Amino acid sequence: MLLIEQLVKRHGSRTVLDRIGFEARPGRVTAFLGPNGAGKSSTLRILLGLDRADGGRALVGGRPYRSLRDPLRTVGSMLDGSGAHRSRTARDHLAWVARSNGIPRRRIGEVLEQVGLADAGRVRVGRYSLGMGQRLGLAAALLGRPEALVLDEPVNGLDPEGIRWIRGLLRGHADGGGTVLLSSHLMSEVAGIADDLVVVSGGRIAAAGTLDEVTAGYASLEDAFFALTGREPGLEPGREPGREQGAAR
Amino acid sequence: MTGKRLAHIAVAELGKLRTLPVAVMTTVGTAVIGALVAAALTAQLVDHGLPASAAAVTAQAVPFLQIGLILLGVLPMSHEHDGGQLRTTLTAVPRRGLLLAGKSIATLLCLALAASAAVGGVVAATALTGRLLDAPPAEDVAGQPVVGAAGYLVVVGLLAHAVALLVRSLIPALVGTLSLVLIVSPLLAGLTRHARWLPDRAARELYDPTDAVLTAATGTLVMLAWIALVGGIAAVLFVRRDP
Amino acid sequence: MSFWNTFTAELRKAGTLPASWVAVAVTLFGSAGVTVLNAVAARTALDSGAQESQGFFSAFETAYAAVPLGTVGAVVLGVVVMSSEYAANSTDAGGGRQVTATLAASPRRAVLLAAKALTVVLFVGLTAAATIPACIGVARLVIGSGPPETVGLDDALVRSVGATLYWALTGLIALAITTLARSGIIPLVVLIANSSVVSFSLLLTHVTPLAHWLPDLAGRRLFVGLPTVDGGLDAGPGALVMGAWTFALLAVAGIVFSRRDA
Repeated sequence: MLLIEQLVKRHGSRTVLDRIGFEARPGRVTAFLGPNGAGKSSTLRILLGLDRADGGRALVGGRPYRSLRDPLRTVGSMLDGSGAHRSRTARDHLAWVARSNGIPRRRIGEVLEQVGLADAGRVRVGRYSLGMGQRLGLAAALLGRPEALVLDEPVNGLDPEGIRWIRGLLRGHADGGGTVLLSSHLMSEVAGIADDLVVVSGGRIAAAGTLDEVTAGYASLEDAFFALTGREPGLEPGREPGREQGAAR
Repeated sequence: MTGKRLAHIAVAELGKLRTLPVAVMTTVGTAVIGALVAAALTAQLVDHGLPASAAAVTAQAVPFLQIGLILLGVLPMSHEHDGGQLRTTLTAVPRRGLLLAGKSIATLLCLALAASAAVGGVVAATALTGRLLDAPPAEDVAGQPVVGAAGYLVVVGLLAHAVALLVRSLIPALVGTLSLVLIVSPLLAGLTRHARWLPDRAARELYDPTDAVLTAATGTLVMLAWIALVGGIAAVLFVRRDP
Repeated sequence: MSFWNTFTAELRKAGTLPASWVAVAVTLFGSAGVTVLNAVAARTALDSGAQESQGFFSAFETAYAAVPLGTVGAVVLGVVVMSSEYAANSTDAGGGRQVTATLAASPRRAVLLAAKALTVVLFVGLTAAATIPACIGVARLVIGSGPPETVGLDDALVRSVGATLYWALTGLIALAITTLARSGIIPLVVLIANSSVVSFSLLLTHVTPLAHWLPDLAGRRLFVGLPTVDGGLDAGPGALVMGAWTFALLAVAGIVFSRRDA
């Protein structure tokens, strides 16, 4: 359903994505794992037509995102939190999003109910907490009843109840035949729901396969993650292993 | 003790402005554009056979220069409010009265720097253009109008700063102050003598003394009173309100 | 992605953005306020029996004199329609920008810009449709029905359309510049200055007569009947030049917007 092929992206002299390629299949939850700065968001932005790739391609159902007629009915996405302007209310935000893709107005109430923001629909987004903003972003992604969901760090800011809820939501979506692609750097949330795993580090794919395949031979997903991304715990990305900061020896 | 804290805060605020690209660009841009405007005005004066003195050109260039200074005055508060940095600042300096004082001191210093650069650029450009066009040398009046122009630019910038403290967000503060100074003020001046009490009209006496009632000194006082009024209301609201 | 859907979504966006309505209100009440001042001056002259040209007491002329100042409102409308996309949300709510959601919903950017342009034109038109009659009404109220109206209906209509066109084109230029700069600061500063006595374009005309071809000067005779500096283009050719500038700037903005990263 979602195909990434040989994607290359450069920022000036820095290569952010170095021939990344993987597939997110229908009926499965694909988790895109990697440390900060690995290129997860860059990949998703290119997939959704926000940025241009310098090489390779990213396709949604065989076509580039920009060629989709009503993209929100095919792919629901959440990349930048709520994606709403601070002076609008949640309802007004969802109203224009729905209008832009010819989605019927009753969906607004339905998705607000679904994400648990029914009471906060007429509050200005600028006054939302982080968790509320995330829920609004999810609501916008669900508006068009899309076949595929592309979410960048969806669990960010959610409380335990919210995490359980979203796990159920995404699992249900995949079990119903939909495609789910989520990016994350939290192993715990991924371990519960992912079927397929794509581990990326430094702009390259470190490992790809089912959850079992990728974690085979490692004690836990966390160990697998650190081993595959070649980092020791406690370091910032880009630092060489062995050069730790002062006290933590 | 408070004095030392205030100095620290002011220096921190200065650092913020120094490292804010748009603030630097505004300062430099105002000086450069001011020089170009001065060159154009000088050329115009020479064309009409009038003496192109620094004072005359400065007086005509100031209305243009004030635009840059207004933007610069608005930036210190607005860039923090719009960018979400205000929260970080308030965590670092929870005593808001002190914060406003430090911010205003830093703003004042930046405005003074920008005003001097702008006026300096104007004077230099006038002299250069005059030489290039072989203009007859003009007897320059002591230089007071030039210094007065710099003074005017600083207080107009402070007025913009006060407005920004009150309304916080960039677009309303910028549009409001620009509209007041560029549109409302000349309009009212054409309609009634009482327009002299408007802040920028009053402060004009610093570089263009034409008014019957106000002098440079009293005009500046009127402007400072306006700044104190707007800034005072802003300060009270800021200290008491949630960010 | 259909144009109609994108356009109606943009209308909703602009309609639910407080800044748009502030711009409309300020234009309406600001122009009305200026009209009142002008009308009071006319009324005083009338009462004191001063000898003025007939047009001085015309309600339409008094109202029309305030109209060029309303350009500021059009500039603000053109700016906020695009600058609101790039305004970062509070870090509390995730710090995101709306442009991500907009482009996910409407990925064909040229169409999106066209929809925004049409939204700006509609809002400016709405503002003009409210402001100009309101100002005329206010002027008539203050001056009274004593002096005869010197401006005929079709004349008034032509002049109103000219003013609305100038406002709309200026708003579109503001939209284009904001799109290119991703910020409203430059168009606000430049276009507000040029609408006032402190006009950079006007200053340039003293350096070279070519400056008369700049958009705001080329179109200035769209305010038919208002006194303006000599030289430059007549209303018709001027409108075409200003329109050409607007189209060119929007085209450049569209190309850059389509090609660059969000």
